Amino acid sequence: MNSLRYGFRLLLRDWRAGELRLLAIALVLAVTAITAVAWLADRVTLATEDRAAELLGADRALVGNDPLPDRFASLARDLDLAVARTLQFPSVVLTEERTQLAAVRAVDPAYPLRGSLQVADHADGDARNTTETPARGEVWAEARMLIQLDIDVGDRIELGAEEFVVSRVLMLEPSLGGGFQNLAPRLLMHLDDVPATGLVQEASRVTYRLLVAGDNAAVNQWQARVQPDLGESVSLETPGEGQPAVEQVLDAAKRFLGLSALLTVVVGGVAMLLTIRHYASRHLDRVAVMRCLGATERQIGAMLTWKMVLLGLITAVLGSLLGYLVHLFMLSLLADLLPSLPAASWRPAGVGLLAAQVILLGFALPTILRLRRVPPLRVLRRDLGDQLFRGWSVYPLALAAIFLLMWWQAGDVVLAIYVFAAVLGTLAVLALGAGVIILLLRRSRRAGATGLLLSGLVRRPWTNTFQIMALGLGLMALLLLSVVRQDLLATWQDRLPDDAPNYFLINIQPDEADSLQALLDEQGLETRVYPMVRARLVGINDRDVRPSDYPEPRTRRLVAREFNLSWLEELPEDNRLVAGNWWANGGQPEPQFSMEVELAERLGVDVGDELHFDAGGQRYTAQVTSLREVQWDSFNVNFFVAASPGVLDDAPATYITSFHLPRDQQRLLVRIVRDYPSVTLIDVSAILDTVRTIMAQGARVVELMALLTLFSGLVVLLAALQVTREERQFESALLRSLGGRRALIRRLALTEFLLLGGAAGLLAGGGAAVAGYVMGNLLFELEYAFNPWLPLLGAVGGALVVAAAGLLATRRLYRVSPMQLLKGAEEG
Amino acid sequence: MTAENGSSVLRTDNLGMVFRGPGGDIRLFSDLNLDIHAGETVAILGASGSGKSTLLGLLAGLDVPTGGRVLLAGTDMTALTEDQRAVLRGRELGFVFQAFHLLSGLTALENVMLPLELAGETNAEARARAALDQVGLGERTGHYPQQLSGGEQQRVAIARAFVTEPRVLLADEPTGNLDRNTGHRIQDLLFELNNVHGTTLVLVTHDPELARRCQRVLSLEDGQLVAA
Repeated sequence: MNSLRYGFRLLLRDWRAGELRLLAIALVLAVTAITAVAWLADRVTLATEDRAAELLGADRALVGNDPLPDRFASLARDLDLAVARTLQFPSVVLTEERTQLAAVRAVDPAYPLRGSLQVADHADGDARNTTETPARGEVWAEARMLIQLDIDVGDRIELGAEEFVVSRVLMLEPSLGGGFQNLAPRLLMHLDDVPATGLVQEASRVTYRLLVAGDNAAVNQWQARVQPDLGESVSLETPGEGQPAVEQVLDAAKRFLGLSALLTVVVGGVAMLLTIRHYASRHLDRVAVMRCLGATERQIGAMLTWKMVLLGLITAVLGSLLGYLVHLFMLSLLADLLPSLPAASWRPAGVGLLAAQVILLGFALPTILRLRRVPPLRVLRRDLGDQLFRGWSVYPLALAAIFLLMWWQAGDVVLAIYVFAAVLGTLAVLALGAGVIILLLRRSRRAGATGLLLSGLVRRPWTNTFQIMALGLGLMALLLLSVVRQDLLATWQDRLPDDAPNYFLINIQPDEADSLQALLDEQGLETRVYPMVRARLVGINDRDVRPSDYPEPRTRRLVAREFNLSWLEELPEDNRLVAGNWWANGGQPEPQFSMEVELAERLGVDVGDELHFDAGGQRYTAQVTSLREVQWDSFNVNFFVAASPGVLDDAPATYITSFHLPRDQQRLLVRIVRDYPSVTLIDVSAILDTVRTIMAQGARVVELMALLTLFSGLVVLLAALQVTREERQFESALLRSLGGRRALIRRLALTEFLLLGGAAGLLAGGGAAVAGYVMGNLLFELEYAFNPWLPLLGAVGGALVVAAAGLLATRRLYRVSPMQLLKGAEEG
Repeated sequence: MTAENGSSVLRTDNLGMVFRGPGGDIRLFSDLNLDIHAGETVAILGASGSGKSTLLGLLAGLDVPTGGRVLLAGTDMTALTEDQRAVLRGRELGFVFQAFHLLSGLTALENVMLPLELAGETNAEARARAALDQVGLGERTGHYPQQLSGGEQQRVAIARAFVTEPRVLLADEPTGNLDRNTGHRIQDLLFELNNVHGTTLVLVTHDPELARRCQRVLSLEDGQLVAA
């Protein structure tokens, strides 16, 4: 027997009979969710991986915060390698009217050594590749900077003490670099123009890069020779590791989206479990006839397996197509945040194909394959084989399939276990809640005269519990992502006082500090200019400190970087001592350090420990005499480590300050930037706006995933309606033949759907409120209050959505004549 | 019960069937002996609940007796596994049911091809077409069961039963779902084809008129077969 052909024929028949539709829809939705995320992740990963060398702009790069010694470049030239230098720093760009923070990169004409720049002649012009770099006196700016400054190509801008002509629009540039500068629009200039701007001074926040490219062997030789010579302040970048921060964020986002896509699979799985038994039981007769005509178990098994495999293939193709469209939609939502991406690959379609098979294998095949055991005697005795699908043994496989998919998406078994437990826990709580609601309804039914109205929900307790649980999960995800997210953001914003600093000035030179303080005082701005010394922690007590001493990645990064140190006379207002004592005011106390308490915990430092810092090759040592708690999001200037006056007197320092400037006093900024060209102005509100945009756009993508989950929840409703269809038909026919009017039957159904949706929404709203409360208070340390409106909102929303979908799905049921219905019910 | 001539093709030795009921064991029949010879036509009559369908199930190897043996063409079916019995059924038996039992997703032609394909025959389509021609449905090969009348469906089922040229044809109330006229035509067709193919026919019915068309008529009473 050609089991593939039979599988296909029978699949077609099932499709025509409408028996497979819900199973297929649940599967298509699951594949859509998975492939949409896979496509998004794939393209973003391709953009970062395939063009890693292009992104670095070189084969290797040396990075440091001080000018890089010439010997590295000469060695490269000796080895016939191409060399380029770049300098990167944040600065404010001025026009007559406006200011804009820019990520400035000054490059020499050899830049980039790998990849190429893309430019356009106008803000809305076509991008083209170029091998040129900006000429002296010219800059290339990103389109959004032109928009924000309201200028076009050919206009002039001020950068530090110099004026420049914007000669091109910068469309694509390798080596994006990390940090907040990523968020600011980029500006490309000639390296030799930097000194005239006066922007780069000693201790300025500047990143120097030496780019090297050429023959692979020579590059490796160069790397081998410079590596031992790099010291602590210079690091080597290789393609692919140039943007660890961005990669980590992308990786986390990918996992999060991937796991949220699996919610759709979980809910879709519930729909499949609901329908598959019903579907399989309709095949008992058919399989019995085949068995009777001589089909062996193996033949039946092969035919049924082929049928499921084919169903998986068809739904995977459909789901992948939809997933592709959804990913395009997601990309359009994220357009502002992403660089231009390479073309999509076929890989995610393969992922969809595989996922569909795994889902079917877990949720459908175990039940379907039980059909192999249909007794052939059923052809003579219809009651045989009805018990075939009883029992719970199919569920472990379904759970295993879900866990497998979670493990694959999380890429980490521990995370997978957590998520698996969280999802199962949520489902269990929802199911429990649903059970309680149904129990209460049953009680109230007995007590009151509304018996008939409530009867639908109460008579099918298991199916209804399933439905409430699945719909609840979808609704809960949606509420969490829309309402709770907004609430949390609002709570966080409320915590910021209205006069929280909105501008930072950094890179203030020591000789400018006093006059700048005077200028700010004169403007009536309450602020202080603090000294800041960048120093590396090199020792605690008698031991040397190395990043590798700390297993925790964040601590490692902290230790690897330079700390910002300051000296203070008094404890700042938004700091609170939690251990030790603050040094005596006035005079010159003993050398002491005060450390922020969380950092101290990370580093294992306590009061009484001695810290050794290295700043500009000089060592500074003192004892920790106090630990402070700092409220970082006050946006005031704060320091991890503060020294008592006198300790850091001879260290190279710049100054820093923050202040709140009302919108109508913005002219002051222009004055500061002009009079103090080396000072870097950071517009906090602009950064906050950007962060808010990222969160909003990211959230919209996640909302899209939640919507798919809700659709799956509705499929569960439809599945439950399908399973109970015959029962409903029969009841409806019976009621009508007993004299019940159509309106009454419709009202009964409406009541049932309203209650069902209301119960699911109530639980979802309650769940979302609790989850929001827990997240706000434990995760984000916000005093977020339980939102009592959420359960109400959920109940009303759920009732409306479910009632609409339910009535739509059952409208035909109540239109046909009782005779027809009774006949239909008999035939099953 | 033995016939007078020909070699034995379907035989039971001391067949027994006991069901476990809520109030203890129910003995449907015990020590039931039946011997059917090649080419014979046998009707088994019985009131509903007498166990005639159970007997048919045992004769077809669809069920296993609690005692005794069933021998089909010399093979003891009670000693075989379900899969082995399925293969034997496919080779040696044809079925005609009261409820037709056609597969709704397959056309008339495909329904008739099914037993041939299950048995791995190569020229299934040509043989199925020929069988449909024989029952007068050569023009309706592409129709699905739901597009055919009851009589036509039963004719497809008869074509399906004869297409493998089985040694024994088992029929369970073959006209029970049909009106009187159609029922008669189906009876004629069944006996005519049986004659042409020289098949052994075992027919279970409660219709004495249909039973009378068989060479031998047996009645199942109190768990024993008696000549009617």
